[in-house]
Amino acid sequence: MGTSYSAVGWNRQKRIYDQVIAGCCVLYLVLFVLITVTVNPDCTFETVLLRSTSTLAVFILHVILSIGPLTRLNKKFLPLLYNRRHLGVTMFLLSAVHAVFGILQFHSLGNVNPLVSLFTSNTHYGSIADFPFQSLGFFAFVIFLLMAITSHDFWLHNLTPKTWKTLHMFVYLAYFLVVMHVMLGVIQYETNPVFVVIMISGAFILITLHLIAGMAEVKKDKKAYRPEEEGFVQVCDVRDVEESRAKIFCIAEERIAVYRHENKIYAIHNVCKHQGGPLGEGKILDGCITCPWHGYQYLPHNGQSPPPFTEKVSTYKVKITGNTIWLKPTPDTAGTTQQGAAVPAE
Amino acid sequence: MFTIVVYCLLIVIALYLLAGVVFTIFFQAKGLSCIDEGTHGSSLGFRVIIIPGCIVFWIVLLRKWMNIKAKNRAKANKEKRLL
Repeated sequence: MGTSYSAVGWNRQKRIYDQVIAGCCVLYLVLFVLITVTVNPDCTFETVLLRSTSTLAVFILHVILSIGPLTRLNKKFLPLLYNRRHLGVTMFLLSAVHAVFGILQFHSLGNVNPLVSLFTSNTHYGSIADFPFQSLGFFAFVIFLLMAITSHDFWLHNLTPKTWKTLHMFVYLAYFLVVMHVMLGVIQYETNPVFVVIMISGAFILITLHLIAGMAEVKKDKKAYRPEEEGFVQVCDVRDVEESRAKIFCIAEERIAVYRHENKIYAIHNVCKHQGGPLGEGKILDGCITCPWHGYQYLPHNGQSPPPFTEKVSTYKVKITGNTIWLKPTPDTAGTTQQGAAVPAE
Repeated sequence: MFTIVVYCLLIVIALYLLAGVVFTIFFQAKGLSCIDEGTHGSSLGFRVIIIPGCIVFWIVLLRKWMNIKAKNRAKANKEKRLL
């Protein structure tokens, strides 16, 4: 969080994350070039560049799309989520190299505009075997471009979170276009089935991960809670909530994050005001509940962002009987101070 | 026929982006601080990094800028009348 925008919101962790990304990318590209040159000494520089950047971009795209479901299934993957946008921009830059060199190599040597040539050099749109797969890659690239140029928080604020999120959900359409681009391209130009096998495996893993994570969420949301005295419902044992962490409960179709902070239990609405991030999947840093998506912060006892920030989320009353946490699922006004419930000594 | 359609589409997109470039020059100079308080004291790097987005989404930004200008004008007129 910052009062004025900076180009890149780096901190020590994010620098390390980005250095690891850059290091892994360089290592992959070097290995790919060395293996390709060894196995196929006749291949051209352009071909090696096109294939190395495209395979790496597709691999990173799979990683990006896996991060969401993985963090829902296991909190150990959360560090991957904190800098997902940088991973996305890296993937876009690699796909840009692939796209530009592809157009230069295949469409810039004639007397027709390269972009016109891209769509008109092959017009077998009715055939699967001869489908102009490059146009699919082009449209996927346009989506990645729009996502990359709007990845800064300025756009989140000025396009409105809803529009921004909708735009960035197009990544799934782009993924489908990439899959078709690779599959149809491989069918037309390759005899080696390894690329098809890798692509199908990747798609299968992604779909399975999303289904498992989705089913886990539905199961959590459908858990029934019986209202007890004074409108409180029993949610869990105090020992189930780790210090500086939360557990999320879905009561009457509202998700509530029950946090433990300095041996007290607090409850706030689970949805971050910034972009709807899951606050209960974050942790308490410097005394503030920190959203795992973009680091927006809220004080546990009143759901308010620390000054000078003005975001507020609803808070809820909690009480502890024995070792059982009870929660009143009726929200108090956003920013209402709560006493919290003291955790009994073990 | 298909080639002509593709050419026409490309020309329309190019003109739209050209208008975006012209808009971005004015927007960076005057509109940016008007539509978003977070841009006050922001770095040069930030201003550069949002240029491609400004060129593509110039219509959205222009509408927002005009709405804010209209609101400010209405507010100023109201204050004048009260005086």
